[in-house]
This record gives sequence, structure tokens and C-alpha cells, in this order.
Amino acid sequence: MIEVYPAESRYTSDLGWLQSHLSFSFGEYYDAKNANFSVMRVCNDDFLVPNRGFGAHPHSDMEIVSVVLSGSIRHEDNLGHVAISSFGEVQRMSAGTGVIHTEHNPSSTEELNLLQMWFEPHTRGLEPSYQTSRFDPDQLQGRLLPIVSQQGAENVASIQQDLTIYLSKLAAGEQIAFDQSSSRKTYLFVIDGACSVNGKTLLPRDAARVEQESGLSIVADQDVFFMLIDLP
Amino acid sequence: MQETLMMKHAVGGRIFIDSSKQTVEYVWEPSEAGWKFVVNTPMNGEIEELLRLKTEINVFVFQQVEGQPMKKIWFYVHEGPVTYDADQAQLTVYARSCIEYFPGDYLS
Repeated sequence: MIEVYPAESRYTSDLGWLQSHLSFSFGEYYDAKNANFSVMRVCNDDFLVPNRGFGAHPHSDMEIVSVVLSGSIRHEDNLGHVAISSFGEVQRMSAGTGVIHTEHNPSSTEELNLLQMWFEPHTRGLEPSYQTSRFDPDQLQGRLLPIVSQQGAENVASIQQDLTIYLSKLAAGEQIAFDQSSSRKTYLFVIDGACSVNGKTLLPRDAARVEQESGLSIVADQDVFFMLIDLP
Repeated sequence: MQETLMMKHAVGGRIFIDSSKQTVEYVWEPSEAGWKFVVNTPMNGEIEELLRLKTEINVFVFQQVEGQPMKKIWFYVHEGPVTYDADQAQLTVYARSCIEYFPGDYLS
């Protein structure tokens, strides 16, 4: 079963300094029927104006992944981590028993666009941790490039959950297969361009929630940049 | 010192209790397992939601001393317990640990 969620079906909040397109219930947007997909709880497509951000706030028992699409983000936390990440870099925070952090756009000129995703951890009450990783954008073309996984690896951030996040770029007409087990779920999000997933068309910022399918065929209807998440 | 008690959903921050916006009688104190909060409140939609989402709540105490920066204390509820006594109209929340912070200590 493939359910397509068009970009315009997302809830949009606009605080002036922050525009967020919310794929799942978050903050003022609450829909009990759209609170999660598998262990995925949040997928916020955030745009932050220069020199603004989120003040100090806590998190707990959540795996938080930030993928920068453009601009840069500065993270600071009470564990002593300070990091600035831009496109090609990923921030992963295991909030566990509690982390206080800030996130903001450190640029005085450039807008920040990031995808921030929250996942339930496999175990609650973990020791908090934070990690940045860097992937090579040149390696995205024509393949599913893992950027986050449970086991982690060089250039792949590790996460306390049985999931893998991939990024991929396909040229128009190019096709790629993902061997999804029918017992797993897949979340697919088009960042730019357009593709078809088992015949279902996805346009920029559309998402597909896939379950009970064995095998996905992703065809680029035009040059496409997308994210695929393999979920339990 | 002015003090505010706030209880929010950890996913996105829906507010269930905010003592700065509504008159709420509450006490909090150390307990054997960490901290204990007792709030006198009638059952209402917010409390129902808090109880439904009791494993995902953030508890805050904000303390403001005149002329000093605001101190925020965040409490990790974990498994609580979080219970409601309808006879007493009392919500009880146990928290396992806490982190104190001054928002101004962070660049934001």
C-alpha cells in the first residue's frame, strides 16, 4: 500500500522568522490520526531566516536527525557540543534522559532550510549523545546513499533505532529499486524534482508512506533528489 | 521570587498546564525517586490529554528573581508515575531527574 501525501497537505505554520511545513502532528497542529508513521514522529521542513533560531529547550527519549538542505545550522547543547552544519552534513541527537539545546541559523544573509525528523528510540532512558556526520554529495547520484543507520559507519551517523535514512539523486529517466521487505515500512520524501514510486507520482516535497509492499521501483520523471527511510 | 509551573507535550509543545495563565495550586518537592508534583485541578480536556500522553510530557518550573536572569528547571518524567485522583481532584506527577539552565547561557 502506498499512500501519497502531497506537499500542500502538510500543515504550515509561519512565525515570521520560522516557516515550518509539518508532515506529522506537532505543536499547534494536532491530528490524532497523523501522529506517527511507524517510529517516525516528526518530519518538519523548516525555513529559518538569518540570525534566528530556537532558544534553549529540552528533549528526551527521542532520536532527532537534522538534514541541512541549504544554509547552515548551529547546534549547542548542555553536554558541551557546538557544531555548525551545512549541506552534506547531518546532526543526530539521542535525547535519552535529557538534553538542553539551541539551534539557530548563524548566517547573517542566507536562509536555512532543514529537514528535522524525530524517531522513537528502541529503548527509553538512554544516555544522551550527539553526533555529526558528513556525506559526499557527489556520491548521491544514481544510488541510495545511507546517511543514518542503527549500526552507523564512516560518513553514516548512528541512531538508536532499527532504521536507515538514505538520500538519492536520479537523472530524468533513471530508475532505482529498493528491496523493501513486506514486514517493513518506507517513508519517501521528494526534496526536489519528481519521481514515480511503483507508478505513483511524487512532486517536490510530496511524501509517500509505504507498507505491505515487497519491492519498490523508483523512476525519475525528471531530475529528482529524494530521501528514503527504511522503518521497522 | 516568581515561579511558574508548566506541563507540556514533549512533541511540539502543546501546553496542558501553565500556572502563569491559569490559577493553579501546586506543590513540588523532592521524593525518594526524584521529584513529586501535586497539582489541584479539575478534570478537563487538557488533563485528559496529559494523562493519555503521560510518557511524553515535559515538566518545567521557571523561577524569576527580580534583577536576575530567569532560571528554568526541566524535569524528566520517564515512566512517572503520572496519576489523577478524581476524589481529590489532584494530579500527581513523579519525575526522575532534572536539569537546571539559564536560557541566556546559550547563543540563540
